[in-house]
Amino acid sequence: MGSNSLHVLKGINFNAEAGELVAIMGSSGSGKSTLLNILGMLDGADSGEYILDGVPIKDLSETKAAQYRNKFLGFVFQSFNLINYKSAMENVALPLYYQGVPRKERQEKALKYLERVGLREWATHLPSELSGGQKQRVAIARAMAAEPKVLLADEPTGALDSTTSYEVMDLIQKINDEGNTILVVTHEEDIAHMCKRIVHLKDGVIVEDKKVKQVRAEQYV
Amino acid sequence: MFDRDIWQEIFNTLKKNKLRTFLTGFSVGWAIFILVMLLASVNGMQNGFVGQFNDDATNSIFVRPGTTAKAYAGFEAGRRIQFKSDDVEYIKQSFADDVEYISARYFSNTTARYKSETGSYPIQAVHPEFQIIEKLIITDGRFFNEADLTNKAKVAVIGNKVAEDLFKDEDPVGNFAEFNGLPFRIIGIFIDEGDDNAERRIYAPISTYQRIYGNTNDISAIALTYNPTYDLAKALEFSGRLEDLLKRRHKVSPKDQSGLFVWNYAEAFDDISSFSAVLRAIGIGVGFLILIAGIVGIGNIMVFTIKERTKEIGVRKALGARPKQIVNLVLLESIFITTLSGFIGLLFAWMILAAIGPTIETPAFSNPNVSGSTVVTATIVLIVAGVMAGLIPAIKAANVKPIVALRDK
Repeated sequence: MGSNSLHVLKGINFNAEAGELVAIMGSSGSGKSTLLNILGMLDGADSGEYILDGVPIKDLSETKAAQYRNKFLGFVFQSFNLINYKSAMENVALPLYYQGVPRKERQEKALKYLERVGLREWATHLPSELSGGQKQRVAIARAMAAEPKVLLADEPTGALDSTTSYEVMDLIQKINDEGNTILVVTHEEDIAHMCKRIVHLKDGVIVEDKKVKQVRAEQYV
Repeated sequence: MFDRDIWQEIFNTLKKNKLRTFLTGFSVGWAIFILVMLLASVNGMQNGFVGQFNDDATNSIFVRPGTTAKAYAGFEAGRRIQFKSDDVEYIKQSFADDVEYISARYFSNTTARYKSETGSYPIQAVHPEFQIIEKLIITDGRFFNEADLTNKAKVAVIGNKVAEDLFKDEDPVGNFAEFNGLPFRIIGIFIDEGDDNAERRIYAPISTYQRIYGNTNDISAIALTYNPTYDLAKALEFSGRLEDLLKRRHKVSPKDQSGLFVWNYAEAFDDISSFSAVLRAIGIGVGFLILIAGIVGIGNIMVFTIKERTKEIGVRKALGARPKQIVNLVLLESIFITTLSGFIGLLFAWMILAAIGPTIETPAFSNPNVSGSTVVTATIVLIVAGVMAGLIPAIKAANVKPIVALRDK
């Protein structure tokens, strides 16, 4: 915004392999959300290249970006961002709707993913009838339903208490165990250590990139 | 477009903002209501005017002589023009293709008597064709024919009112009435759709009257109908030619406005239709202006709705909604509100017109109504209006940046 450009990210060289579970850490203003937005094609980078699954992501039209997001990416937000007048199942089915999947198939798939997050019996409930942890699990199911290449989670536990946070992380770990690539933006140390790799950002540059021994969230649940 | 998800969303937003939806929808419904009522009123006026002229064939031309106002061809001004029987023959021959029916008219008054009943009535001596020109409807007996004309038969056709007055309960047909002391056989009774006054007339063959009154060839006026296939332009052109020719024949200056009069119904109809076309244009104009207010109202509610749903739209875009799909969603909602409320307005207007329209029957205003084409036009207008109302908000919505919409703080 504004005419003055502000360089938030100042040279990030970062590569994530398939099946990785990466935590992106940093204090606020460090550029971690900007990085995630660029990865999520919600924002464009001024320079540099971004290659996702062998596809260079550059100069996308709105329509193309929407298609790529739909095909390649699943989003999990801090504030869940469920659509409040749609039931859990309809929320999960939404990305499938944008993929053009027929209604019946959509519903079956949505139920399958709700089952995986353990919320099948809550399928017909509206988000307002769910707890915070349940909402985030629905959101994860929604992100997974489109079978994306990468799952981008922006502070997925930011609005949850610690027990629920661990539940959600447990779910994320299990999804990762199945081979899905997941990037988690967080500023909580314990959440970061539940990932397999931690990337520390500070003032727009990577200051630390290390593999860690994963702490399983299961034991806290 | 007929996707359950889209409709679910539309109904949801409408349900959430019932009052707001009603108030904005009302403005469009009201606009359509007024538009339809205005158009129906114009229709009503037109019906009224046309009804006034209904008693004559719509392709008729009346010619009557006047008094010259200009000196011309060696004649002083102030000369009375007198038509003769051969004028009719002359027109018939000169305009064989143009004239459909033609009749001379000889105006007179008569005191009619039957038994003890007497009355004074206008009498017109005419040719048999006059029945068609004047659209006379014979309810009993017949109109006189060529044979009566040739034989100069003393026969007469009387108006319904004359029959009532003179013959009371008796059947006039076949009976003799005395017109100025001469016995005429009544051969028919007519009614005239135009007015009651016309039914106080008596018609007799022109030849009979010309002989009775001094064996003249004088006639008072000429009535004719032109070729019914003629459109307005051709009809006007024909009456122009007719006027020129008669003026020349009677040595009236071509510029003389009062020497003789050719009165073409087409002209009157032209005046009425251009008059009602202007009224209609005004009606449509006013209706549209009101409709624009309604459209702005709907556009307004849509902008608010979009603002409220910015975050949701951001989520949708993050999940892969294409800009086109967002535009569709907003447009469809806008079209839905406008069309629904417009139809409610249309329905109300139509119900009111159906209930009271047929009861309104005055000379200048009768049976206001809306045609099917009005309804179709209104529907198209509403859909266009919906698109117009929704377009700016829809583009606004499609341009929502997911990154901005999703910002949590």
